[in-house]
Amino acid sequence: MAHALQHVAWEPCLIEPRPDRALQAYARRRRGMPSPAIGYFAPVPWLARALVDLHSQYGLLMHLDQNVADLVALVVSQENSCRFCYAAVRALLWAEGMSRARIQHVEQELTRADLPPQAVAAIAFGRSQSRSGPPGARAARDALHRAGVGADEMKEIAFAVASTDFSNRAHTIPAIPARPIEQIPDRLHMRLLRPLIGRILKNHRSRGRATPLDRVPSYPYARLVTAYAGSPIAPALARTLEEMWASPHLTRRCKLLMLAVVARGLACQVCALEVGEALQREGLKEAVLTQVLTHLDAPELDPVERLLVPFARETIWYEPAPMQRRARALRDRLTGPQLLEAIGVAALANGLCRMGAMVLDYP
Amino acid sequence: MMRTVVVGAVLVLLAVLAGALYRQWRRTESLQAQLDAAAAELQDLQEACSRLAPAGVVQRLIADGVKLGTEAVAERKVVTALFADLVGYTALSERLEPTVLARVLNGYFQRMSDAIHEHRGHVSTFLGDGILAYFGALQPNPWQCNDAVRAALAMRAAISKYNVELAREGLPALAVGIGIHRGPGLAGLIGSRERMEYAFVGRTVNLAARVQALTRSHKVDILVTEALRAELDTRFVLTPMPAEAVKGIAEPVVTYAVRERLGSGGA
Repeated sequence: MAHALQHVAWEPCLIEPRPDRALQAYARRRRGMPSPAIGYFAPVPWLARALVDLHSQYGLLMHLDQNVADLVALVVSQENSCRFCYAAVRALLWAEGMSRARIQHVEQELTRADLPPQAVAAIAFGRSQSRSGPPGARAARDALHRAGVGADEMKEIAFAVASTDFSNRAHTIPAIPARPIEQIPDRLHMRLLRPLIGRILKNHRSRGRATPLDRVPSYPYARLVTAYAGSPIAPALARTLEEMWASPHLTRRCKLLMLAVVARGLACQVCALEVGEALQREGLKEAVLTQVLTHLDAPELDPVERLLVPFARETIWYEPAPMQRRARALRDRLTGPQLLEAIGVAALANGLCRMGAMVLDYP
Repeated sequence: MMRTVVVGAVLVLLAVLAGALYRQWRRTESLQAQLDAAAAELQDLQEACSRLAPAGVVQRLIADGVKLGTEAVAERKVVTALFADLVGYTALSERLEPTVLARVLNGYFQRMSDAIHEHRGHVSTFLGDGILAYFGALQPNPWQCNDAVRAALAMRAAISKYNVELAREGLPALAVGIGIHRGPGLAGLIGSRERMEYAFVGRTVNLAARVQALTRSHKVDILVTEALRAELDTRFVLTPMPAEAVKGIAEPVVTYAVRERLGSGGA
């Protein structure tokens, strides 16, 4: 099936998949289907799990219409030129019964006349956040308001966009092969099995249920988690953050520096403040942080930080192939898990900042 | 007999019905193909527009149904402008055959554009042999000053490499003068009803062009203004130049020649 991203250049994959039965079983339990890419992320379990957990299609949304969330994921992946995620959402929509023509019309924005205004506004929000980032959040939020989108629904739209941004970067930077997924709707056996697959996928989809947040976390981005208290998004996000901070491949300071760079690049003031405070608690002097954020380097940084601080900046606005070549250059200077964790941290930072700008910066 | 007639009539009726259905199906297919072709054309057009104006601007025009020439699409921004010009272009153009000149110029523009693009700049326009590029115009970029100067250094390296290729063909070497300034201005779709382009308008662009002209009198290839220097990484090695008056600016302009950048990493 021809699609809008087939012209997007995509480098050979940077990493080798590693079969992991436990992770595969986890994905199957959540989604009803094996995850074709989870093996690539196995060396960094928090990242692999986050790519399953922070998925708006499975039990996290209480207010937003699931079909709208799917369309948001489609257009955000299109905007981010993520061939893998885009093909995955397309295949999912197709398996669940949406015609190819209808999918194409959504991509080409020919559906404005036959979608409710809230859905049109949500899609427009997804596009605008991918293109202009947090500086455009206020206007995007106003547009959602005008379309009659409520506050809870708006937060879930922000989550749908952010989780797609996260997934897009996590799959794009290491150039996870997209071709097998792109070919799914063209394969005869998949076409024959389409009704069955669609049924299984639909059965595993569920609406989110109110979930209490057991405790208020104390790490950076805790405010963002708290903003979703009561929603199943909060514990999913909290778990991802806790595991990310606990993961040993990069130092906590290195992760914070990457988050700080992305927050600055996206002009997310709340995120920048929270991460800046955490860095000071880590013992980083304010002058050094200023130097890092202004010039993406400082003599006080260790060798890994000096590589990853400028790398974090590359992940904010990018074209896939040049970004993938830059990541490839890092591969020779970092261990496999270090590179993968760096990709995960940068991807998560991009998602969190976009979500933070929407949910925290303009209350 | 009667039965045969009825069966025949039913068969004829069925055949007519099948024919009509087939025609309708063909018509639907044809309309679908036309719709797909129109949609593909629209997509191509949108992509082509994205090369002429930032995707966000194109998107806004489409989403808001803005009719060009009826509504202003612009915003105030702080942007870094880089203006580059070939030194001695007039003499060069007189010496070379038009086809050779065009080939040399195309090679020059391609290499300069690549260097700018590599450092997250956006080539706004080619003005004769000049290039006007912006950093931070399309997307927020707090590292725009460092990016612009790194792009200028990459342009310097690219022109040196290109000159080796030109020398091999017995062609004269090229030299480029580059002026960079950072400041506020108006970014948006600007022009007449018949012709519009995404542009950045304001004193910033004029000053970048004037500073570029100063590269001749200061006999250097890259000059930056004081406003830009203040934002630059200290690893860029700069030499202050004497302040000089330029057209349209009341005060003499202080500039710095960019020598090199020490070390690697960073913005």
